[in-house]
Formats: sequence, structure tokens, C-alpha cells
Amino acid sequence: MSRLSDQELIDELQRRFEENRKTIQELKELTEELKIVNKKLEESEALKSHFISNITNEIINPFTSILGLSRSILSVKKENWKKVISMVALIHSEAFNLDFQLRNIFLAAKIEAGEIYPEILNVDLKNLVKSVIDSFRIEAKKKNLSFEFNFEIVPEKGDVFYFKTDPEKVKLAIANLISNAIKFSYENGKIIIRVWKDDEMVHISVQDFGTGISEANQKIIFDRFKRLDSGINSLNRGHGLGLSINKAVIDLLQGKISIKSEINKGATFTISIPEAKTNIAGFSADGNEFLFDTDEIF
Amino acid sequence: MEENVHFLYPAAIFASKTPHLVTTILGSCVAVCLYDPTLRIGGINHFMLPLWNGQGLASPKYGNIAIEKLIEKMVSLGCDAGRLQAKVFGGGEVIQSNVSQFNIGARNIRIAFDLLEEYKIPIVGQSVGGKFGRKILYNTETFEVKQKIIQKTITGNQI
Repeated sequence: MSRLSDQELIDELQRRFEENRKTIQELKELTEELKIVNKKLEESEALKSHFISNITNEIINPFTSILGLSRSILSVKKENWKKVISMVALIHSEAFNLDFQLRNIFLAAKIEAGEIYPEILNVDLKNLVKSVIDSFRIEAKKKNLSFEFNFEIVPEKGDVFYFKTDPEKVKLAIANLISNAIKFSYENGKIIIRVWKDDEMVHISVQDFGTGISEANQKIIFDRFKRLDSGINSLNRGHGLGLSINKAVIDLLQGKISIKSEINKGATFTISIPEAKTNIAGFSADGNEFLFDTDEIF
Repeated sequence: MEENVHFLYPAAIFASKTPHLVTTILGSCVAVCLYDPTLRIGGINHFMLPLWNGQGLASPKYGNIAIEKLIEKMVSLGCDAGRLQAKVFGGGEVIQSNVSQFNIGARNIRIAFDLLEEYKIPIVGQSVGGKFGRKILYNTETFEVKQKIIQKTITGNQI
């Protein structure tokens, strides 16, 4: 066994000491990182449990109404049959809400799992927006709100303006904006939906004249699960997913979503999306060839 | 020419006697394409996680289940398990993580290779790993697989 000189020993000690110091430093940094991650997890956990209680209301309440109402209909007497129509209207309205919220929740789950892809089709945009507006007419009637729909795009050829995008996701995004506009409008108000385009993008805006959103709140409304007044007293239902889903969906379509608002004067949300270039399930114009952009063949 | 196009969703399996173009998008998921050259029949799966933990549903979301079920399905269509060939795609590391246990992509690739070796199915083509996603189009009649690399990923903080 070779013997080390004093100097070598000292050097070796110093080297080891230095190594130890580095390890401790690394550990410290890792601990810091862990602390931050832990804090984020705790926050997300709290938001999620809040979300679950919201969502429970969102699903259980409509179901309770639907069950109760349909049971009343079963036992209704012949002379009261006129009441049935209003009951059916209520059932429809609750089922509509339920359907809308479940779509949101399922999409949110997909977004969270990272399994969300654009499914691009050639879309008749005017009809798409109109169908979303029509689906909310009954809801709007409850607060005596009217819709104004301005489609400001003149198709280059033919009567219909076609736009390549993901129709289901765009529909849900518009539905979320209209649902919010109804929620935050004052009674007897108006909601204006505009569609126009410039060289790059198509813009869809939904404007209400309701409570509006403060500047501070405008910054956080796209965060998940956050509703602005989440107290027990809040009159409006909702799971706080809508706008965060919209942001994720619009990001996916490489678009933007913006907001203009003043307290008590209302809010305008604008979705801007470019025409999709990639076709996932797309055929060529004559429908014969399946289009696929290829890098490599195996 | 009217072609049958099928969009394969995650956790799904597809195999058919009639020729199809199957397309799917892979991030950290892995797709195994199997092919019987004699019958010219192809099948494909798309799994998200490597191993079924024995709890809950044994769904083809998990690699070990997805590969076994796909082979079963091919055999039920008349294919000979001994003739099957494979091509493997996906397993990209699309969500950057320093923690190796989270590297789902690499674990998915590993399970595909291990199981195919166990079933003695040769791998005749592959494009796995990397830090990107893939879009593939599989012609089940010819065994040709076209691939498009998807560089842009949805980053974690957007969701």
C-alpha cells in the first residue's frame, strides 16, 4: 500500500471537502425546487377540491330537477296537461345545461391528459355561429335578453363562407363566451355577436352590457377553476373551467383570445383564429386522395 | 379511388381484413404496427402507459395489454402469429422532465421492444424517442408507414 505525503493528503481532503460542499449545495437547491413544486401541488389540490364541489352542483342539480319534473309529469292529471309544456321546457333547459357542462368537463380532462388535437374540417362558419346562438335562445329568454348577430364576411365565391378549422372546439369556445355573457348580463339586455376577418385571421366577438370585469380580474380569468367571486353567496353557477378551456382550445388552433371590459358597462371577448393549414383527416379538393404531409417513410 | 381512412384514438386498437389507411398522433404514446405479409393484413394499437398495474380495467391504454390484444385480434382474422412483423413508432419526450421515472416515452418504447422480443415478432422498422411528436399514416395493405414529425408541442404550463 502506497503512503501519501502530507501535501497529497491535504489535497485529497480538500478535494473531498469541495465535493461535499457541492453535494450539499445541490441538495439545498433540490430542496428549494421541491418546496416550490409542493406549494404548487397544494394550490392545485385546493383548487381541485373547490372544483369538485362546484362540479357536483353542476351535475347533481340539473339531474335532481330533471328527475323531479319528469316524475311530476307522470302523475299529472288530465285537466292540468297544459302545465306539462312548461315542465318539459324546464327539463329541456336543465338537460341542455348538463350537456354543455359535461362537454366542457370532458374536454378539460382531455386537455389535462395532453390528448387534445385539432380535427380540421371545412366549416360553414356563419351557420356554425348561428347554431350556437340558437342553442342559447331559451336560456337568454329567461333574462329577456336579445341577440344581435352580425356576420360581416362576404364570401369570395358562392354564397357560403367556408373556413378550415375544428368545428367542435370552436363551437364550444363560442358557447362558453355566450353562456358567460348571459350569466353576467343585466335583465332585458342585449348580446352582440360579430364575425369579421382581416388578411390573417377570422375574429369572433361576443359583447355583453352586464357587470363587466375589473382590470385586476381580467388577468386571472383564464386560470383554471378560478371564478371571480367564489363565495357561497355567488348567484351564478359555474365550474370556472370555461375560459381556461377556451384559452387552451384557442391556443391549440394557434389563435388568440382577448378581452375588453369596464365595470358595469359590460365585456367584449374576441376570439381570433387563423385558417388551419394542416389537415388531419383531410382529403384533397376532389375527395380522392388522402392528404398526408410526409417526412419519412418506413 | 375511395380509400378507407381510420383515425385511431389513444388507447384504441385497429385491425381489419380490408385495406385501410390508419392515422394517429403520438406524443409519449407508442403505436405498434403489426403485419402479416402473406395475407396482407395489418393492425395497429396506440398505448399511453407501459404496464397495467392489475387494478381497474385491463384496457389497451397499457402497453402489455395493447400488444397482447392486437396479436389476438390479428390471429382471429386468420393471421399466423409466427409470420407477424412489427414497426414501432412514438415514445417521444414531449413534456420535458428531469425526473427519469416520469419519462413515460422511454418506458413505453422499452415495453414494446421487450414484449415483441418475447413474442418473437421481428421489428423491421422504427422511429422512436426524440423530443417531438409524430403523426403517422399506416397503409395496412402494404405495411408502408408515412411519418410526419411534429415539433411544436403543447407545453405543460398552457394546460
